[in-house]
Amino acid sequence: MASTLGNSALWLSFLFSVLQFIVSTRNNNTIIIFNRIAVTGLLASTLASFFLLMYCHVTSDFAVINVFQNSHTTKPLLYKISGVWGNHEGSMLLWMLVLSITNYFIFKLYNKNNYIFVSKTLQIQAVIIIGFLLFILITSNPFETMSVVPSNGLGFNPILQDPALAIHPPLLYIGYVGLSAVFSMSIATMNSENDAGTPWYTYMKPFVLAAWTFLTAGIALGSIWAYYELGWGGWWFWDPVENAALMPWLLSTALLHSLITVERKKSLQAWVLLLAILAFLLSVIGTFLVRSGILTSVHTFALDPTRGIYILIFIGLLGSYSLILFALKSKNFLGKNYFSFFSREGSILVNNLIMVIVCGSVFFGTTYPLIVEIFTSNRISVGEPYFNATVIPMIIPAILVMGIGPLLSWGKVDSKKTLKQISPSILLTVIIIIIFFLSYRTYNIPGLVGIGLASWIISNVLVTLFLNIRKESKKNNFTVTSTIKHFNSMIIAHLGVGLLIIGITGSSVWQEEKISRMKVNDEKMISNYNVVFKEINEVAGPNYLALRGSFWIYNQNNKIITVLTPENRIYPITKNTTSEVSIHTNLLRDLYIVLGDGDNDNGWVVRIYYNPLVVWIWIGVLVIVIGGLLALKNNLNILKLRNL
Amino acid sequence: MRKFFFISPIIVFLCIIFIFFYLLIIKNDPSELPSVLINKNAPKFETLSLLSKKKFLYEKEFNNDLKIVNFFASWCVPCSAEHKYIDQLSKEKGIKVIGINYKDDPKKALQWLDNLGNPYSDVAIDSDGDIAINWGVYGIPETFIVNYNNIIQYRLAGPITKKNYDTFYKQIIKNK
Repeated sequence: MASTLGNSALWLSFLFSVLQFIVSTRNNNTIIIFNRIAVTGLLASTLASFFLLMYCHVTSDFAVINVFQNSHTTKPLLYKISGVWGNHEGSMLLWMLVLSITNYFIFKLYNKNNYIFVSKTLQIQAVIIIGFLLFILITSNPFETMSVVPSNGLGFNPILQDPALAIHPPLLYIGYVGLSAVFSMSIATMNSENDAGTPWYTYMKPFVLAAWTFLTAGIALGSIWAYYELGWGGWWFWDPVENAALMPWLLSTALLHSLITVERKKSLQAWVLLLAILAFLLSVIGTFLVRSGILTSVHTFALDPTRGIYILIFIGLLGSYSLILFALKSKNFLGKNYFSFFSREGSILVNNLIMVIVCGSVFFGTTYPLIVEIFTSNRISVGEPYFNATVIPMIIPAILVMGIGPLLSWGKVDSKKTLKQISPSILLTVIIIIIFFLSYRTYNIPGLVGIGLASWIISNVLVTLFLNIRKESKKNNFTVTSTIKHFNSMIIAHLGVGLLIIGITGSSVWQEEKISRMKVNDEKMISNYNVVFKEINEVAGPNYLALRGSFWIYNQNNKIITVLTPENRIYPITKNTTSEVSIHTNLLRDLYIVLGDGDNDNGWVVRIYYNPLVVWIWIGVLVIVIGGLLALKNNLNILKLRNL
Repeated sequence: MRKFFFISPIIVFLCIIFIFFYLLIIKNDPSELPSVLINKNAPKFETLSLLSKKKFLYEKEFNNDLKIVNFFASWCVPCSAEHKYIDQLSKEKGIKVIGINYKDDPKKALQWLDNLGNPYSDVAIDSDGDIAINWGVYGIPETFIVNYNNIIQYRLAGPITKKNYDTFYKQIIKNK
């Protein structure tokens, strides 16, 4: 019953999206009423079908194939709900839902002055929505039923039963879909050749900010999941699925910064229009790579060629149209005012180029195995060494520029003044590196470079903050307070990047790993800690059985710090086994223990990791996200204030 | 230089899309995963037979005929869907099919065979999935074509469907 309703709601969404497409092609102000019907109708029917699928999952309606394959009566309620998007069909429906919500927000921008721009944007958005709806209806309908009703479901992949993973896909989808709005706006701008002089960049910016902020949070949650759940001791594996999210993130980072230049100086317009197209195309290509099974990764389960072909045709059409349009129209958006590289906009352009090159090399590394396969029919993986060797050297100059960029002025730069401004940060960075070197006596060059870069960013942030405050106190009649607020969101986000670099450096350069077979009462030293394997017990969880090891951790002074209890779980329903990591965190390091296979006679395979500074990765990302949200709020206020 | 900036995105894009199309359609179906075991000996195993409850007679089953090896389970929905094709190959085309019952309850598996019919010359029990690991199975159903010399010739990951049945059958004929 619910499934039939859900299916009808999905078809209704399809009708509304077709209506939206037809209505938006008319450049007439009165048509807004029909557009309102289409947009709100689309939102309502998509919401209905999404919640009907959720209803099927919560009530365990096993006649629905999607519920049967992905759910089980013993599953906790939270995971029954997150199970809705924990599989391919449901996640596509979630994608659709986010699309129609974004669609609604674009519609809300409508006013007398911008109706051509907004309706053109809604038109492209309708094409994207129709594309994805047909994809769902033809190849991945979550409401398909079967005549035989099984008594119970096939359970759920227990490794996916994790709160971080439950909210990770929605966040990523908000990011990807936000980029779809940016894409549509870019097409709308080029299509109308911006006759009306609409400030398209001002409309684009909140969507870019939202997409970027949510992508950042989504990628971080994926990392958190990998770190806590996979039990491999690391948090980033250069897996195709991770790269698929990283590439749009890199481009939207570039986009975010060059949009500021467009807003201020009206330069780089063509470049921004191109980035907007590429960022969304890469999001969809990422989905294609993951869903088609063309690349095999730890994350993919489904192999379905028809889905791959459909998405590929869709990307092909969308990409060809937008990029041909770009080739034809973009010369109208070339700026006439050139600027020096040694300026605010110059530093932004340099970092933009680096981001694009990094993105290109990640794309190359991700698809290289496919290209090799054409010629040799071997499947290879370039993996971590390639990415570390290409990405890290390119990112280092970007970070150096990033530190100094906010201190440069727009247009012309007084180099003496700038040198004076950055001298405290140079001094501070050198002092920190020397202190660090003397207190830890480390000759590890990558480690020292990482610490140096982090202190370079953070000290520059402090200098910028100091200069801003001084400037404000000098001019008491300073009117545009929003400018200061805007700067503050940038300062917060950059501070987050500094903290993130500390975490990345610590955890990748000074990680220690001890893999050994341990029997009960065995001891193992790692860093300055002594790990004692005290006991191993059987325990029963709500839907699993587990072997739980007890490891007592002592510090140098032989004082007990904590007891870590990693588990080896078996889920009888799916016969899956997982290992639960046990971690002790403080601001300086994580102690991370994984219990592997074994028995009492031969001992158990135990992996112990000492991961310095990992927590700063999560803190750094949190700070970045706060900065992003603050900037988003400010930009929405600007839209309101200027009554755009 | 300027022209290059305008035109290069579409050129690069079309090249990438072309490569993907080539891989996806012309080159191969991703369900035909290249297996490291292609042209290698079929991995041996020792286990019980589901049908006789005695030792699975590996030497007898992997004899000098062409045979296909099908990994299945009663809990696997696509396995039920592909079963009629396995049945067809076994009963109409007279091809020897060896079943490997993956992580299943033997009672349910027998019940399943009773309901849907038994196309298998014998069924090996793989209760903990060890055989599947040795054969490099990603997920079930998966089907292998093994020639008279017990060399693996072809691997199909995923179910046999109406669409791929003919190609699959051609592969069998080719290796006969």
